[in-house]
Amino acid sequence: MATPERAISVSDAMALAKGALETLRLRVVGEVSGVSDKPGYKAVYFNLKDGSSVMPCLMWRDAYTACGVQLADGQLAEVAGGFSAYPAKGSLQFQVRQVVLAGEGMLRLQVAQLARRLETEGLMRSERKRPLPAFPERIGVVTSPRGKAVHDVLRTLGRRYPLAEIVVAGVQVEGEGAVAEIVRGLSAISVEPGIDVVILGRGGGTYEDMMPFNSEEVARAIVACPVPVVTGIGHEPDNSIADMVADMRASTPTAAAEAAAPEAAEVSRRLGAERRLLGRGLAHLVTAGAHRLGLLAQRSVFRDPNALLGARLQTLDVLSDGLARALPERIRGERQAVTLASGALLRLGARLAVAHEQGLARAAERVGATGRELIASAERDVATAAARLDDLSPLAILGRGYAVCYGAEGAVVRSVSDVSAGERVRVRLARGNLGCIVETAHEEA
Amino acid sequence: MASEVTLPEEMSFGAALAELEQIVRALEDGQLELEDGLARYERGVALLRACQEKLAQAKQKVTMLIGELEGDAQATEGDEEGAE
Repeated sequence: MATPERAISVSDAMALAKGALETLRLRVVGEVSGVSDKPGYKAVYFNLKDGSSVMPCLMWRDAYTACGVQLADGQLAEVAGGFSAYPAKGSLQFQVRQVVLAGEGMLRLQVAQLARRLETEGLMRSERKRPLPAFPERIGVVTSPRGKAVHDVLRTLGRRYPLAEIVVAGVQVEGEGAVAEIVRGLSAISVEPGIDVVILGRGGGTYEDMMPFNSEEVARAIVACPVPVVTGIGHEPDNSIADMVADMRASTPTAAAEAAAPEAAEVSRRLGAERRLLGRGLAHLVTAGAHRLGLLAQRSVFRDPNALLGARLQTLDVLSDGLARALPERIRGERQAVTLASGALLRLGARLAVAHEQGLARAAERVGATGRELIASAERDVATAAARLDDLSPLAILGRGYAVCYGAEGAVVRSVSDVSAGERVRVRLARGNLGCIVETAHEEA
Repeated sequence: MASEVTLPEEMSFGAALAELEQIVRALEDGQLELEDGLARYERGVALLRACQEKLAQAKQKVTMLIGELEGDAQATEGDEEGAE
């Protein structure tokens, strides 16, 4: 590279460098260290490093807030951005536009986001957590059938509380397919009859190994389990999502087994206490009974039998006396009442008969008068009607001098054409008939 | 009481213990008739005996619902004897 002929100022040199650097656009992955995230500062500062190099980084606060990542030392992060120079200090820095966590850091971010979501749903609320049974009959265990965890659980339960039957769902707890296996184990235990509590456990491992216990599916299977679930997932100090939604969280499988069952020795001591209390309770009852009996024995009723019977006998006397007097008096009273009643009845009967008779006579008289009146009125009506009938009769017309002429056939002769000369006719008068012979038959003009 | 029909031996440990505690409370209360109290005491003794026997004779029972148990089984069996 040719050397310029003329020397330039420092500022010019830095400006040139800055211009050259800013053409680079890069994605860089490295370990986060020296995070400086002070409230009030316009940017967050940190270094990204690998085995041999360090790269100072700056990220403007609004961009940092927008990407939702909480940077911490030791995280593996992938940043996107470009280099810039800071001429005032002659230093170089990488301006980060975007940052995502890589590897475990990314996993942790995802887990934290899921945890927040499930928390919002209320799955971690303490009200949702069920109490563990005091004396479980059957304990379900969902864990790997291989390795230390299952044996820790069985040994602990066998030592503490051999009374409980253990039902184990041996499932794959890490790697591909583990989530489905754990869910299958939990639901198989769920439908098993008489299970009182479920232990979900695994031994220690890397953060990645724990990932099945951070899955939403396992979290929901725990929530759906009809009996309380105790987790014993050995990865202190990390809390898995399974731990957060479980009814109880223990730090290891052994601790989970201890939480799930009482200790037989302790139960035995309790039985001893109950035995003593039972004996004392009976003694208490007997003492109380004896005391009550003692108090009763002192009552006058038990000391002097007459105190109980005396009053009753006296009452009996008074009653029988009253009874003796009451009976004859009552009979006499009732007989008199009957006599009075029958007398009254007889008198009342006679009075009723007279009254009835008079009533009947009056009614008959009234009926007679009405009848006579009706008959006279009817006779008058009939006479009037007969007179009117007479007026309308053809005989009455004949009475006034008219006559009716009947032909040979007996038909009434109404016109001269009905008869011819020489024919015999009968003439009906008001009184009697005339036998006549027609001489002439003239049509009236 | 309906539960008095059940023999203590046939009851679950928790149920037997709960009834025993109930009997103790009733007896301590002192409101019982003597006959009733005696009957309950007898029932309590039977429950107590059943609980103690269950506890003394308990031997862990393990059922595999899914999968086969592997390794370390000897240690588990050995520990069962140390339950007392």
